[in-house]
Amino acid sequence: MNLVTLLVAGLANGSLYALVALGLVLIYKTHDLVNFAHGEILMAGGFIGFTAYQTMHLPYPVAFLLAIALGGLLGAVIELVAFRRVADQHHITLAMVTVGLSVFMKGIARVPFGTDIYTFPPAFSADRITLGSAVIAPQHLLTIGIAALLTLLLFLFFRYTTLGKQMRATQQNITGARLVGINTGRVFSSTWSLAAALGAGAGVLAAPLSLLYPDMGTNFLLKGFAAAVLGGFESVPGAIIGGFLVGIIEMLFGGYVSTAFQQVSAFFIIIVILFIRPNGLFGRRAVARV
Amino acid sequence: MNAPLLDARDVTVRFGGLIAVDAVSLAIPEREIRGLIGPNGAGKTTFFNAISGLVPHGGAALRFDGRDMLHLPAHRRAAAGMRRTFQSVQLVPQFTVLENVLVGMHTGIADNPAASVLGLPGGNRGELGAQRAVIEVLEFLGIGETLLQRVNQLTFAQQRYVEIARAIVGRPKLLMLDEPAAGLSPGDVKMLDALLRRLRDEWGMTILLVEHVLSLVLEISDRVTVLDNGRMIAEGSPAEVADDPAVKTAYLGNENV
Amino acid sequence: MERLPWLRRGFAPVLCVLLVLLAQVADSYTQYIVNLALIYVVIGVGLNFLLGYAGQFAFAHAALMGIGAYTTALLTSRLYWSFWLCLPLSGVVAAALGALGALPAMRMKRVYLALVTLAFAQLVVWVLVNWNVVTLGTDGVDVPAPMLFGWRVKGDTSVFYVVLPCTALMYWLAKRILESRIGRAFVTIRENEIVARCNGINVARTKTVVFALSAFYAGIGGSLYALTLGFIVPDAFGLSQLVLHFSIVVLGGLLSLSGAAIGAVVLTALPELLRDLQALQEIIYGLVLMVVILVMPQGIAGLLKRWGVLPREVLARNWRALARETP
Repeated sequence: MNLVTLLVAGLANGSLYALVALGLVLIYKTHDLVNFAHGEILMAGGFIGFTAYQTMHLPYPVAFLLAIALGGLLGAVIELVAFRRVADQHHITLAMVTVGLSVFMKGIARVPFGTDIYTFPPAFSADRITLGSAVIAPQHLLTIGIAALLTLLLFLFFRYTTLGKQMRATQQNITGARLVGINTGRVFSSTWSLAAALGAGAGVLAAPLSLLYPDMGTNFLLKGFAAAVLGGFESVPGAIIGGFLVGIIEMLFGGYVSTAFQQVSAFFIIIVILFIRPNGLFGRRAVARV
Repeated sequence: MNAPLLDARDVTVRFGGLIAVDAVSLAIPEREIRGLIGPNGAGKTTFFNAISGLVPHGGAALRFDGRDMLHLPAHRRAAAGMRRTFQSVQLVPQFTVLENVLVGMHTGIADNPAASVLGLPGGNRGELGAQRAVIEVLEFLGIGETLLQRVNQLTFAQQRYVEIARAIVGRPKLLMLDEPAAGLSPGDVKMLDALLRRLRDEWGMTILLVEHVLSLVLEISDRVTVLDNGRMIAEGSPAEVADDPAVKTAYLGNENV
Repeated sequence: MERLPWLRRGFAPVLCVLLVLLAQVADSYTQYIVNLALIYVVIGVGLNFLLGYAGQFAFAHAALMGIGAYTTALLTSRLYWSFWLCLPLSGVVAAALGALGALPAMRMKRVYLALVTLAFAQLVVWVLVNWNVVTLGTDGVDVPAPMLFGWRVKGDTSVFYVVLPCTALMYWLAKRILESRIGRAFVTIRENEIVARCNGINVARTKTVVFALSAFYAGIGGSLYALTLGFIVPDAFGLSQLVLHFSIVVLGGLLSLSGAAIGAVVLTALPELLRDLQALQEIIYGLVLMVVILVMPQGIAGLLKRWGVLPREVLARNWRALARETP
């Protein structure tokens, strides 16, 4: 396989992992919680986009924005119904709620979509681009572009909007945020909204690259989780770089070592990295307090 | 004179470029109550953590009970007879008082694990002895009736006593108390005062006490050590220390006493 | 039950007798479900050591169960070793691999441990699938029926007579371990490692013990699982198996031995009760999981204890005798 082809495909997958990792990191930073239903949010986004684009024949950008909007709404609802009341419980208990949610959402998706596997056509039918011996799929470029755009918007949001600043403040010190009058309830639901919107957007982008089926979320959750950990789990840029790394590692292993090993290569690498750098590539050392 | 129970020389703790404890030496003879005072940020708790083995530290020597502790991890130091309490009470909230205090007997229970788990004859001797010790110590502290209550149902003062019970149940040689009077009512502080004297006089315990309630420290300490900015600035009897001009500027002066 | 000591003391033996009586009349399918439930008691208790008591957020339990199952299946079917040797050996192999989990647990933050163990679990399943020469890959492995004193352990009722004593023994052992200083050390490191160290608890050793112990239970459970199913495939030990294990412990009650047992029974029975509602099975399962956790975060056992239906669990031997003598 051509190296450039592999790198572009790796970056495309990697930008999806990065979006998933971003969602995981956002929720982890505010709630101290790993959201195990995040893969299903991605799956939901994929199916929303599919329904809008294929069944209802809406234009692609509309379908994409609809998936993001509904994904955001879904996130807010989940936070309100499931997490508002139990936010103080043990982290294992909270994580189990998301596991229940993940099983539940898969079950819901199977009602209309059954056990079939759907294909989502690419956003536009353009020919593959050949660059020397490298072959690049336009969908890959689109994925990378949109993911980059979403990430940029996220940065701007955190930097320049009041809500974004409040969210950062809450992540740093929740009690302090409450003391200065930040409505942390609103921050929580916005965080979930934002994370879920990113996940749903990733779902629409992911559907043409992988396939669309109710169980598709698991793989993305695991890879996004891996990306987030690689990036330190607390850092937004870390999550993005982690995502790219996981995507590229995977493709290179698939291309040069063995396709059978491709699926687990990222995990293998991560175990090795974490044993050498126990706080991830970009994580800071945890300080123990008495 | 006998060798001191705890003999720390030039203990130094660095956090990055910051020197939190700067070459502090401290020798405490047996059966002494030693007060350790100083303004906020003086490095008292850090010094405590260094002695306990919780933070990496340097030093010329750290001898305890005739043994070299300098390179031992925290759990080995605890097993050697050095126990402590924490500024904020640290108990297992879901545990009963019995279970919490039994944790303090962890190294005091010498049962063979296999014999104990399988219930072989004599396999529980240590465990049952430890339970006796728990009951005894709770009665000594006057909280015997709480034995089977969950600690999250106790009052704050009771929780403090449970933590002290956990620290003393194994009859350690050195008891280190990190602000034991914090959050206690004046009445409770008086009881604590009496308790510490009894631990010294009846149990023969040596006590190192970090405390903000100055009246308690100055009243019950045999000697007092004063830290400021990570350095030791004075040491002596409570009266000497209270009169020391350096202490006044560094510590008492700050608080307008 | 707290007020009826005879009921509490007699409960376990009576339950065993009832199960034996049930085995006389139960059809093969019911018996199979009972066997599975008993195996999941072992699995659940094992995970509760790690997750509930020691508070270690690790995800390798299903994979370790798979290692136990494959150890038994491969050694009995391909090398013709005796099942009775393979059963404890499966536990030991799983424990040895599980103890490795203590290494990341000592160095890493919670989420990192979660990912490393999850990655390990994925790698194990991947090896089971791809190392066909040894594991026979996705074709799966047949587990031959073992012999016991000339009696062939075949059929669900026969298997039951192997599984029941094993489960009873493992449960009793767990209770004994938890009621010793080892069990208290587990909970202390869960709560605060610094406190543990200052009380003379060797955190590294305690973590190694709890990871190994938990994995030992997973291995034994896996071995019994292989016996019960008679045929195993790698996919059985993937993420859905893991979700089941976590559900058992959290739904039953973290920090409760009887909770793990209750969770095992409920979660083995629930899918069977929902059998006719195949399409809704996942929805109801997920919903039950969420609602139960939201309504009773301490699990079913926590609720039953509050009602006084379940006895208190105190991690000290003979604490009831102490309760009687101190007013």
